[in-house]
Amino acid sequence: MTNTTNEPDQVDTLAAVAKLLHHAAFRAWEQAQAAGPRSPLHLLGLGIHVASCQAVSMLPAGTDLGGYPPTQDDVEQLLRAAAELAQDIPFWHGPVGISILVAAICDLVREVSA
Amino acid sequence: VNTPDQRSVGELLLDADYTIRQVLMDAAGHDAPAMLRTWGEVVQSAAELWATLPPPLEGAPSPIDGATMARLEAMSQGMHHTQVRQGWPGNGPAHEPLLHVAETFTRAGDLVSARGGHIRPVDPAVRADLDAARVRIMHTLYLGAHSVSVATQQHVADVQASSRGKSDRQTRGVPRGQDAVHRLAAFEQLAGAYVGNRFALVGGGEQVRGPAGTQRLQQALVDWDLQAHRTLATAPTPANLHLASRTQAVIATTSASILRAGAATGHVDPEAYEQRLAPTLDATQQAWTHVAGRWAEMTSPADRTDTGLVHAAGELRAALREVAHDKTTWASPQVMAGRVDLGEVAQHLQQALSASVDVAAVVRDVAAHDPNLTGPARAMSHRAMSHRANADIDQTAGPGHHGADVAWVSPLDILANRIVPIPEPVRAGLVDATDTLVHSASNAMSAAAFLDHPTQDRPTTHGQEPATSLGRRPEGPTPKTQEAPRAPHP
Repeated sequence: MTNTTNEPDQVDTLAAVAKLLHHAAFRAWEQAQAAGPRSPLHLLGLGIHVASCQAVSMLPAGTDLGGYPPTQDDVEQLLRAAAELAQDIPFWHGPVGISILVAAICDLVREVSA
Repeated sequence: VNTPDQRSVGELLLDADYTIRQVLMDAAGHDAPAMLRTWGEVVQSAAELWATLPPPLEGAPSPIDGATMARLEAMSQGMHHTQVRQGWPGNGPAHEPLLHVAETFTRAGDLVSARGGHIRPVDPAVRADLDAARVRIMHTLYLGAHSVSVATQQHVADVQASSRGKSDRQTRGVPRGQDAVHRLAAFEQLAGAYVGNRFALVGGGEQVRGPAGTQRLQQALVDWDLQAHRTLATAPTPANLHLASRTQAVIATTSASILRAGAATGHVDPEAYEQRLAPTLDATQQAWTHVAGRWAEMTSPADRTDTGLVHAAGELRAALREVAHDKTTWASPQVMAGRVDLGEVAQHLQQALSASVDVAAVVRDVAAHDPNLTGPARAMSHRAMSHRANADIDQTAGPGHHGADVAWVSPLDILANRIVPIPEPVRAGLVDATDTLVHSASNAMSAAAFLDHPTQDRPTTHGQEPATSLGRRPEGPTPKTQEAPRAPHP
């Protein structure tokens, strides 16, 4: 196992996961800012952003995460989509830490939908 | 007639992977007793399968092969003995998906044994397959432990929420569940070290169960402060500055929540908190959030963030959640007070608020002086024009003033959205925002000075309501915190 993945399918999947997490974090922060400085959504946004950073760190440098934004607009929907995609990344050929990322995303889904 | 299982070892391990991921997705509090009853079987069957795999060749560069699994098996046996001694969770049905994982491992072990697991293959491809099998087993255990831990935490919270008026027997699941959670956390950390490639931790035979509650939070705050300084000194990139600012904003948000709970339960002077500290915490939170937004504009989604900073932020968030969070919102003051000594936590937060002034100063220094700051051309052009327009409203143009018609970013760069050096108005906006940040962080530090002194009538037991009037006024002169917080520029 390596720190990043170079398998084309895995890169595509992981890039999609990173993109979903990126948008979920910003949606959470938008809602947090609207709710005020004492909103617990600030904490949620940070958790999603940390997971996003972890996903990006597993991608080859220079991977393009641009293009169209995800179709989902709701934080929970974005996280669930990321969790479902992450389930498809195999552990044994995946980058180091992929199972930790999978667990983190599942925890975030649980956190937002408890 | 049952047809024999024709699957290969690889297919069986894939099945275990798939099942455990489903278990993770579905983990719920009501499953915890069955999961705890079955978890030992999963670990035992994994250890037996591990033992059947041909050992590494002499000199194989793996300091943790074998040792990790042996430690995990010992941990699991220890948990099992405790459960038997305590009679909790007691007899009952097994957790079917976990039982399926255990049976799958057993089947895989039987297959390997039948085919000669004692032989040491030298073919690199075969050895790679064996390494992959070990990693997959460990991944399954890592996710399994995490699932059982999540379900048990939920179970404990459910029992706590419905425990009023119940007998000790009915609520015994709380302390026993908490003990199980701590032990599963150690298990998870050890398995996670294997799958996360942190060989040094496991190979060194360190104690893997970390601190919890107050100690964990204190350690996480200190580690965060050190890591933020270290990262921003060596790599002050917009991505790192963004994460640092977001995390500092969360420290302010969560401090307000915890200190409010402290005020409500008599651990913190309520008047000093409400009148002086709370407004400054809100102002510094907003200032950090505003600055974070500015750094975010200068990043793209693919920008890398320093892994040390990411780890420190993640651990700090986890430690803050452990104290202050409950499901989707803040925990009640009584719940927080039952978790930690809020007076002690208040003192750690006071130190963190002091430390955040210096982080703010570092961020301002980068904003004002770092010559390498860059950002995407479109966002930079938009921000430059926006800042210039605000400046034009604020003041009459003086000598050297650039009007709104100045192109701060070339059209070609905008078209391709290239990464460009930040234009002068963007830097000016950053300096304004970070000046406000330093000012508000200093105010919060001053207002938090009273937290150094615990309230005289502070409760001695976690979760107790104060019996008499709360708190006292802080000693000494009132800190100079009365300036109205400056609103950040839009």
